[in-house]
Order: sequence, then C-alpha cells, then structure tokens
Amino acid sequence: MRAQEQYTDVELIAAISAGRELNEAIRFIYRQYSQATSSFIMQHGGSEQDADDIFQETVVAFIEVVQKGKYRGEASVKTFLNSIARNYWFNEIKKRDRSGLRDKQFELSRDKNEADVSHYISEMERKRQLRELVDQLGESCRKVLLLFYYENLSMKEMVEHLPYDNEQVVRNKKYKCLQALAGLIKDNPAIARQMQEILK
Amino acid sequence: MTPEETRKMIDHLDESRTGRPSPSPEQLIDRDPQAAQEWYYLNLAVDAVRNAGLHEQVAFIKENLRKEQNAPAKPAHTEQYIAVPANQPTKPAAERSSGAIIRSISKYSLRAAAFILVITSSTVLYKYLTVSSSSLYERYFGAYNLNTSRGETTESPIVQAYDTKDWNKVIALAGATGARDNQVEFLAGMADLQLNRCDDAITHFEQVIAANAQASTDFYQDEAEYYLAISWLACKKVNQAMPILEKIKADPHHQYHQKVAEMSFFDLRLAQYKENK
Repeated sequence: MRAQEQYTDVELIAAISAGRELNEAIRFIYRQYSQATSSFIMQHGGSEQDADDIFQETVVAFIEVVQKGKYRGEASVKTFLNSIARNYWFNEIKKRDRSGLRDKQFELSRDKNEADVSHYISEMERKRQLRELVDQLGESCRKVLLLFYYENLSMKEMVEHLPYDNEQVVRNKKYKCLQALAGLIKDNPAIARQMQEILK
Repeated sequence: MTPEETRKMIDHLDESRTGRPSPSPEQLIDRDPQAAQEWYYLNLAVDAVRNAGLHEQVAFIKENLRKEQNAPAKPAHTEQYIAVPANQPTKPAAERSSGAIIRSISKYSLRAAAFILVITSSTVLYKYLTVSSSSLYERYFGAYNLNTSRGETTESPIVQAYDTKDWNKVIALAGATGARDNQVEFLAGMADLQLNRCDDAITHFEQVIAANAQASTDFYQDEAEYYLAISWLACKKVNQAMPILEKIKADPHHQYHQKVAEMSFFDLRLAQYKENK
C-alpha cells in the first residue's frame, strides 16, 4: 500500500467498485474534496460540525452509488460530491425551518448546469432514518449483523468475535436480530408510508 | 408468515449474497403479498446494516485523518479500518487509534529517555573522572583581602606583610607574636594556605573558632569557618569540609553564605564518594 494514494476519477471509481483499498479511497476523498465542501457549507449558515456531518453523509452516499453501479460518470467526482453535499445541506436547512434563508441561499449558489440529485438526497434521508433504527437494536445485535452483512464473515469466523459457544447459536441470534430490525422498520411510520406508496 | 417461512426467506436472502439463492422462497414471494412485504423489509434491514457499517468505516477514517493532521509528527503507520474487531464490536476507532498514538508516544519517549540517559551517564562519568577535592579546592579557593575598615588607623606589620603577599613574613611575624589575636591567627592561616600548608592553615583557623567559642565573640569567625572548609579540601579531606560548608549554606546570615550556595554540592558529594571508596 502506498503512503498517500492519488487517484484519477476512473481509478477511484474502479477501486470503490471492486471493494479494494476502500480505506485509502476514503482517505483520498477526504484529503481532496472535504475542504471545499466544508467551506461552502460554513459560508451558507452551517457550523463546522454541520460541514463535517454533511460531508460524511455525502461520502457514504457516493460510495454506495458507486458500489451499486449507479455512478455513470456524467459529472466528475468533484462535481458529483459538491452537488450532493450542497443539496443535502439545503435540505437540512429546510428541515430546520429556515426556508426563506434556504431559498435565497440556494438560488444564489446554484449552478445552473448542476445535475438533478434530488433522488439521491431523498435516498440519503431514508438511509439516515434506517441507520437510526440499526442503532436502536442494541449492541449485541448490531455487532452480529455488522459482522455478517458488512464484514461478510462466515459463521465460523463470527464465533471467534462473539461470546457465543457455537455457530448454531450465532445463526439463531442473527435470525432474531434481522427479524427485530425488519420489525422496527415495519413499525416506523415514515417508512411505512413509503411502503404504501410503493404498493399502490 | 410462519417463523419457518421467515427463516427460509432469510436464508434465501443470505444465499443471494453469495450468488447461490434457493428457488423455493421466490415462488412464495411471488404468490403471497404478505411474503413480498416481509421480503421487502428484510432487504431494507440488510441495506440499513450495510449503510451503518459504511458510515462507521467513513467516520473511522475521518477521525484518523484528523488525528494525523493534529499530530506534531508523521505517524508511524496508518490505521486501517476493520469494522468489528475482536471484542471491540462497533466503535473501535477511538480505542484502536489511541493505542497507535500511545505506541508512538512511547516510542518517542523511549528515544528521548535513552538520549537523556546517555547524556546523563556521560556527564556523570566525566565528572567522576575529573572531580576531586584538589580540583574543588582550586575552583573555590579565592584570596582573602583584608578589610581595613575594621577600625585600625595604623596597619600592623603583619597586615602590611599580608597586603604585600609576603606569606613567609606573615607566618614569621605571627610566630613571633606572643599573645596572638584572631586577626593574627587568621592571617597566619591564610599565609599557610597560600603556601599550600593546609595542615598548618587548619590549625590556625581552628584556633580562631576555639577562641571565639571561649570568649563568646565572633571576630574573624565567618572567615575562619569558610577558609577552614577550603583548607580541608586542600588537604583532600572532603568529609571534614562538608559539615562546615553545609552549615554555612544553611545560614543565610553567614558572610560566605552566597559563595557556598553557589558551589556544586553534587561535585562535592561526588568527591566525598570517591574519598570514601
């Protein structure tokens, strides 16, 4: 591994898509793009913490878009990240009920050639709500599900990381935890509304 | 939906991850709206977990970068994210990166400590080889200048001899004096010291101190005490000099207090150690 990776857009997309060097890719994105985005948010009513949170959400969204093969490369990575971060921030301002300020600032800073990223923004918002439900699960369930669905560990490997005696116990725990999370999602009013719209 | 059906659906979901889905739950999902809904929520749950994992990984890298930027020196290595390390399930960043910092600090501290140890050891060795009662005597001996403001209107022959640094004459005149006062005794001691007769000098200075003790006076007392200690150094007897010097150092009103306070007691004790070996 090189000490400080430098990527072209194509190389960055390739690295993220392949799931290799993801840590280095994230480091590169932060080094390369976080400063400009943070400055923009702070110039438009955000605090340093707001800028930090918005950019983190933006990076997560970008990686997911790339990993699902939905990044088309119509805009550069920089433009894509900026668009996502700006729009997510204006969405946040709107939620904070500062709509007058939001509309004025948005129109002043909007790039007329900017791609419509509204669907990404609503997806980010939905993911954030879901993530909150994962946090409600409790530490042991969270750990089991992360090991299996994010780390892609086998049941055998999971036993080494968990205070359970054997693979069957871990497997049962995973069933229960996933069902518990699905239950939390089902009971969430905002997500239930989305479900009803989908089933219409 | 029975628990068994849900289980099968979860297995189907898990197998889909590996590209080996079993066909039976697909039929169930297709024909049963409730099963389709359950399938949708299970998929959302898995998406949520993956998003939480990625969010955590990004947060970890961000925190690491921030620490690197705030660190004074380049870190020894870059921390790599492992979402859930053994026994540190979901929030590993702080603990693991602080471990790296502690390791780095320890490494620098050890280097600094080793450097200081080498310097200190070299200094002590150099001192040990060079410090002795003789070297201390040469460092701290200073000629005594007579203070003529002590009330004498006419200088005595011994004072005149002392002023002209005629040490032998001072000694001769002191020997010829029948009833010697403290001044004569002291000047005789100083003359002996100038001629490197430390034993004789010690006798004269002790005589001054004894006379004062007997008469409850302090004429030339401070001078006698200080030069007695210096004479002991000249005679290579640091053990005798030390109590006198420590007494002077502890007495802020002593005439030679400042002079003694500026002496290196480390060197004096080192010479004492060598003497006692």
